[in-house]
Amino acid sequence: MNSLERIKAALAFAPPDRTPAVPQLFGHAAVLAGVALGDYLRDGSLLARCQLGALRCYGHDVVFAFMDLCVETEAAGAILQYREHQYPDVASYALAPAGDAAALAVPDPAVAGRMPELLRAAGILRGELDDTVLVTGCVAGPMTLATQLLGIETALYLAADDPARFEKILDFAAAVAIRYGVAQIEAGVHLPIVFDPSASPAVVPPQFFRELLLPRLQRVFAAFRQAGALANWLNIAGPTAATLPYYPEAGADIANFDYYVEPQLAQQLLPHTCLDGNLKSLDFVAAQPEQIAAAAARLVSAFAGRGGFLLASGCEIPPEAKPENIAALVAACRGG
Amino acid sequence: MNKLVASLLDGDHAAALAETQRLRGAGMAAERIVTEGLEAAMRRLDDKCTVESFNLLEIMLVGRAVSAVANELYPEGVPPEQGRATFVIATLEGDVHDLGKNIAKMVLIGKGYRVVDLGKDCPLATLANAAGREHARAVLVSGLITSVIPQVRQVKAALAECGLAGVAVVAGGAALKQSSAAALNVDYVAETAFDGARYLDQLVRGALS
Repeated sequence: MNSLERIKAALAFAPPDRTPAVPQLFGHAAVLAGVALGDYLRDGSLLARCQLGALRCYGHDVVFAFMDLCVETEAAGAILQYREHQYPDVASYALAPAGDAAALAVPDPAVAGRMPELLRAAGILRGELDDTVLVTGCVAGPMTLATQLLGIETALYLAADDPARFEKILDFAAAVAIRYGVAQIEAGVHLPIVFDPSASPAVVPPQFFRELLLPRLQRVFAAFRQAGALANWLNIAGPTAATLPYYPEAGADIANFDYYVEPQLAQQLLPHTCLDGNLKSLDFVAAQPEQIAAAAARLVSAFAGRGGFLLASGCEIPPEAKPENIAALVAACRGG
Repeated sequence: MNKLVASLLDGDHAAALAETQRLRGAGMAAERIVTEGLEAAMRRLDDKCTVESFNLLEIMLVGRAVSAVANELYPEGVPPEQGRATFVIATLEGDVHDLGKNIAKMVLIGKGYRVVDLGKDCPLATLANAAGREHARAVLVSGLITSVIPQVRQVKAALAECGLAGVAVVAGGAALKQSSAAALNVDYVAETAFDGARYLDQLVRGALS
């Protein structure tokens, strides 16, 4: 089996030759290559080259055409502050606290901000790897983009104080995700992952997720499916036990779960959905390879009877992670 | 006072403010509104917020109402002689994410503490100097990204250099709470803002010595 076939088997709950290894390696690929993160995040060719380098180094089963969660808000008008060795943050938001979504235009991925660079990375990765390795893209989920358009505190207060205006911003965010994600599929990714950390129950209560976010996620995933996505992948970190049961209804085929959620509970909550998780991110910086190997082996064993599992970190592996710890994750999938 | 507590727990800052103004107009002392209003509301919120049910939206709405009441009572900030104790709080240099810090600050103000907020991207020397200047019982550091951990490990040394080795250090936030107090070289790692506040309550009561 090649990597893509292995992941397809896991998705279908068919037995793969081994557990797929899908460590969330984003900025770490730049560090591994000795490239400044600030350059990696603005140059699609460089990003693709670093992702391919990480793939050669670790031999895992996925590459990520993923920059950061500020790409969409920057394309919509926000001004970012870039740093050499960190992810950017928003210096000036696209929407003022009293602003309205009607003032914003859905960015054209061919020309807006860094979106064309991300599409370039997607095309290079798919061109190099074809159907041997899963090539993923990334979009910010509706709640995350809403918080990036306004700032998280302003967005949350607005959700409580003026729900109608906030819902229009969520609709705008869903439209951005659809247009950008479909462009990524057209550029070559097998699927765009929806990252929506602000939809975590650590940020908003489950009822908020069910009533306001679920309908928008359904819209996004339906559009991706229609555009030819191999599968739909929803990635929300944090204590998601209360919202995981809604993922199938959202249209997700792959559900990320973080270290807060025990593997047995995740299996109970999502018996028919492929799961990916849930090694603790910080351990890739602070722990020793033997500890990663032991934790990874426990996870592989926990899913051995069920299938439908991709071994991953529960959240991004920090850029400064120790390479030997990532190698230990991949080795655990290979049975040693 | 029940009406004030209910308004606070509903996150209705306008109603909480109006009720505070009514109570003050009726001659009620600010200290009593803090102890029987704000602190009572924060205790009930603490009981409700487990690790599983803690969410920023609800906490922020209550926190906004608490801040509105605190600003009404003490427009110049809680005076040192009236605060239960003083804490200095910051997000350290290299990390510009300050929501977790703001939440912790709101919870502590609601419990009657005086909190000196040094903002985000704060150098260690600034933190240590402020701890000395403000006679802080503890310094609180929040971190969302793992790359700030080396800075956190140096907080105690920075305090010791200023002769403040006895000042407690509490860490919290998404990145830091994955670690341990020993690994971060701090006194306590808080799972949530309320968890941290409980530790600080014990510290101030002398229950940890």
